[in-house]
Amino acid sequence: MSVKSNVEDIRIGVFVCHCGLNIAGVVNVKEVTEYARTLPNVVFAIDNRYTCSDPGQEEIKDAIKKYNLNRVVVAACSPRMHEFTFRRTIAEAGLNPYLLEMANIREHCSWAHPSHPKEATEKAKELIKMAVAKARLLAPLEPIKVPVTSTALVIGGGIAGINAALELAEMGFKVYLLEKKESIGGHMAQLDKTFPTLDCSICIEGPKMVDVARHPNIEIISFADLVKVDGYIGNFTVKIRKNPRYVLEDKCTGCGECVAVCPIEYPNDWDMNLGVRKAISVPFPQAVPLVYRINRDYCIECYKCVDACGPRQAIDFDQKPEEIELKVGAIVVATGYDIYLPEEGNLYGYGKYTNVITSLEFERLILAAGPTGGHVIRASDGKRPKSVVFIQCVGSRDVNKYPYCSNFCCMYTLKHTIQLKEHYGADIDVYVFYMDLRSHFKGYEEFYQRAREMGVNFIRGRVTRIEEDPKTKNLIVYAEDTFLGEPITLEAEMVVLATAAIPTKGSEEIARLLNIPRGTDGFFLESHPKLKPLDTPVDGIFLAGACQGPKDIPYSVAQGCGAAARAATILSKPYVTIEPIVAVVDSDKCRNTKVKCGICAMKCPYGAITADPGKPAVVTPAKCHGCGTCAAECPADAITQMHFTDAQILAQIDAALEENPEDKILGICCNWCAYAGADLAGTSRFEYPPNIRMVRVMCSGRVDRDFVLYALKKGAGMILIGACHPYDCHYIDGNLKMRVRMEALQKALEKLGMTPDRLRIEYVSAAEGIKFAQIVKEMTSKLKELGRERIKAENEKLRPHIERMLSRKSAA
Amino acid sequence: MPVKLIKNEDSSSLLLERIMYTKRYTLFLDRNRCVGCELCEIACPKEAIKVIKPSEFKEMEEPPKKITATVSEDKCNFCGICSEICIFGAFKQSVDGKDFIPVLESESFPRIIHEVKIDESKCPPGCRICEEACPLHLINVKFDSERKVIKVDVDSEHCPGCRICEAKCPYNAIHTRKIITGVIKINVDLCPEGCRYCVDACPIPDVLSIADDGKVRVNESFCVYCGACKKACPVNGAIELKRISFYHAPVKSGAWNKALEKLTSTLDMSKELRSKSFLKAYDSVKRLHMGGKTKR
Repeated sequence: MSVKSNVEDIRIGVFVCHCGLNIAGVVNVKEVTEYARTLPNVVFAIDNRYTCSDPGQEEIKDAIKKYNLNRVVVAACSPRMHEFTFRRTIAEAGLNPYLLEMANIREHCSWAHPSHPKEATEKAKELIKMAVAKARLLAPLEPIKVPVTSTALVIGGGIAGINAALELAEMGFKVYLLEKKESIGGHMAQLDKTFPTLDCSICIEGPKMVDVARHPNIEIISFADLVKVDGYIGNFTVKIRKNPRYVLEDKCTGCGECVAVCPIEYPNDWDMNLGVRKAISVPFPQAVPLVYRINRDYCIECYKCVDACGPRQAIDFDQKPEEIELKVGAIVVATGYDIYLPEEGNLYGYGKYTNVITSLEFERLILAAGPTGGHVIRASDGKRPKSVVFIQCVGSRDVNKYPYCSNFCCMYTLKHTIQLKEHYGADIDVYVFYMDLRSHFKGYEEFYQRAREMGVNFIRGRVTRIEEDPKTKNLIVYAEDTFLGEPITLEAEMVVLATAAIPTKGSEEIARLLNIPRGTDGFFLESHPKLKPLDTPVDGIFLAGACQGPKDIPYSVAQGCGAAARAATILSKPYVTIEPIVAVVDSDKCRNTKVKCGICAMKCPYGAITADPGKPAVVTPAKCHGCGTCAAECPADAITQMHFTDAQILAQIDAALEENPEDKILGICCNWCAYAGADLAGTSRFEYPPNIRMVRVMCSGRVDRDFVLYALKKGAGMILIGACHPYDCHYIDGNLKMRVRMEALQKALEKLGMTPDRLRIEYVSAAEGIKFAQIVKEMTSKLKELGRERIKAENEKLRPHIERMLSRKSAA
Repeated sequence: MPVKLIKNEDSSSLLLERIMYTKRYTLFLDRNRCVGCELCEIACPKEAIKVIKPSEFKEMEEPPKKITATVSEDKCNFCGICSEICIFGAFKQSVDGKDFIPVLESESFPRIIHEVKIDESKCPPGCRICEEACPLHLINVKFDSERKVIKVDVDSEHCPGCRICEAKCPYNAIHTRKIITGVIKINVDLCPEGCRYCVDACPIPDVLSIADDGKVRVNESFCVYCGACKKACPVNGAIELKRISFYHAPVKSGAWNKALEKLTSTLDMSKELRSKSFLKAYDSVKRLHMGGKTKR
């Protein structure tokens, strides 16, 4: 939907900046300004020394009033630098801020071509011509205001989620804390001691859990699953299914009398299945909420618990799953991690040899409240082992399993060795096989030192295999000591495996429901690894703790608090404003009413588009991030990205290729990486030939096939499409969608006779100025090598095909 | 160490184990004692037990030669109900190596009473009639020649209560009680020509026999109502077996009510419930009355 303005009414003012000598030292500014005056609809043009200075801005404001300007073109530095400044300037003069267009004649012109002042001046003229052409078609836009529901949902009640919930509740927001399991607490509640201070884990987490339960602003929804999430920033609708406990939450007093009479026991996964729990029970005594649960998979329905419960009548065998709906403004995902159990393939004999256990199992063994009462004993004979071997990096740092480092295993193994030495002293031999020992946080190195002083043997090397002595059930450990460079064999009475921390079982489902991406490792992906570590690409959804990657307790706590602060930036305001450069569907043109299309909905990286059968596609503006991928993909051209409309971009291409198109390179680059890379090329004064004309789009996903075809129709010599590197896309994967689209087009055009290199797709990061300059150099020399005539001939050959391709589309 | 669920079976036994770090549950089935009846299959609350034909045993080198029970390791929750309900005592449930039936401990299931009372004073020396009569060889008569005392050992745990010994004892020294009461009827019209599956399956001799006319005849006085005949019968409806009651210690348990309903009928189950409530009312009235008396 392009907004059609009456061409007669357009009154454009052009302001050409000298930027001291930065521009004027190369480009003949006076000449350029004179040229600008001759362009259609330009009613005023002036040059000034520093347009961004106060007097420069005042000049724009005065001119707008004096000449009744309704569009403004500023030819100066990169729009990435001052677009915001000038938008504010014209807004102060009463113009809609989106009626501004900038021509980048500094980074992309004077700085990039200092040794070719003549060509640079010509390029500046054309850049202004392109800007004016776009400005002519600019339409006023209003920022979208979305009201905010000031409640939050925290998914996951581990230590990160607990902290996020407590912080938000303390700020005064209502918080729903959703927990899949029966009790909040997460992995931390399973641990015995915490490193490096060796304070009791549940003693420090327990009070926090109770705080959560008592807080008037927090509602714990435990033993429940996330079913559906709809909506967008400030306005999420969340469906949750509460699984039946068969014990009424409001009536259960937590007395535990039912447990005593229950005859049935089953493995307690809270205890890593080392111990048992009753068919009616809580997983551990400190559970919050302290509500018992009947596991109907095991219950034989003798109703002894009903008798024991008596007049409290808390047991209800007819309880059904219950679905509830919540409205929240922000979501914090804190779903944590799982521990890898190497049962499959019996890695290091786990699952095959009785005395090979995992570290989390060891944790439950050494815990005083655990199934063995804190006695480290062997499963085979119930005796205390006299020698224990710890093996690090089981599954992690393994290219065949989980290539990443699981972060906290080195430290908990140190803790376990120290605990063993504290309990049994010289009476126990402790060995640790490691690849590298990573003790990289406050107090951690000292902790490592302490373990060494206590007599723990650290052996650098990989364990190759383990065998079991069938009689004694001892384990023979075969390894290599890489320091000595020789093989080593040890007999141990117990082996403890530090297994990898892996994404939780349900994280794929959570990612699907929330439409948030996961990395190659399966953990949730943050928006930016450095500057937005807590954000997801979906506005209003934040990450905390190990769901984003393995983290220890202090890090998870910090992230929980941080995610709460991020969520509060939304919840504390009555409205959120959204940039209006979103996609808009022309429902008359949309094919989805007639055929099953839905391509836009499929391609949208944010799930912002719904295309119900028989109905035109609908964009939810608050979810749309304005990448324009849908607009490029739409086979009926029914989608327009505001401020980057087809008409505007085609007008820019038109202007760029009006003269000598065969000598030129048309660049279409994404704002965040390739365009910024070109900016850096200028800033770093990497010279490149001045025959490139740049069109800026927000994301390379916006690059429509039509743009390329149109440019070739206009006679372009070369076309460069610049995008972010594969996993750096600021719109999740718009660049990859562009790549698929463009590679298909490349093949088609090559078949029709185009020289392959004439359409180039390049990944250029914002730091790769030199790469950008190099690409332009390469393309220019190729252009020269091909020669004008050949390009002309090729274009002529292509023309009928292109005409057909373009017309077919407009007909559809 | 992950939880190990192990199932080992051969033609003579089945061993189901749930081995955990701190606990070990075992369920053992002695297939020599198992008669292939339906009691455990019906009573199991988790539907973990199937009583199947030899041909239905898959992936076994040497499958059992008769109809017998098998237990699913995924479904079994080691409650011990099968151990108690089996009147032949073929199942044995243990925890950490000790015989232990959890449901009995919590009175979630009644103790099924195997009652064989012998008044040894009536036994004449040298008499071994009962020992020879017992079809399951559970009676052992000992004569202490020095003290001139006769001692009769009865393995009542495995005794289904057929009462043959009582019937055969000419000195009226044995008193047994049937564990299950019921009614059995064979619709001989439905019997296939020459079929004797039920006769062969019945664990108690002479309960079922082929009469001179070639039809199956029932001698109900020794029937234990286990249902092995019904399991073996190839024709649906040829054998009508109706259990009415079980001889058991009193309990109040939903699991027992459910098992009883399935083993007998809704009507019989409700009868037991009614008599229980009558007893309860009778008890309380008595207590009230007695209480009044002592106060005065």
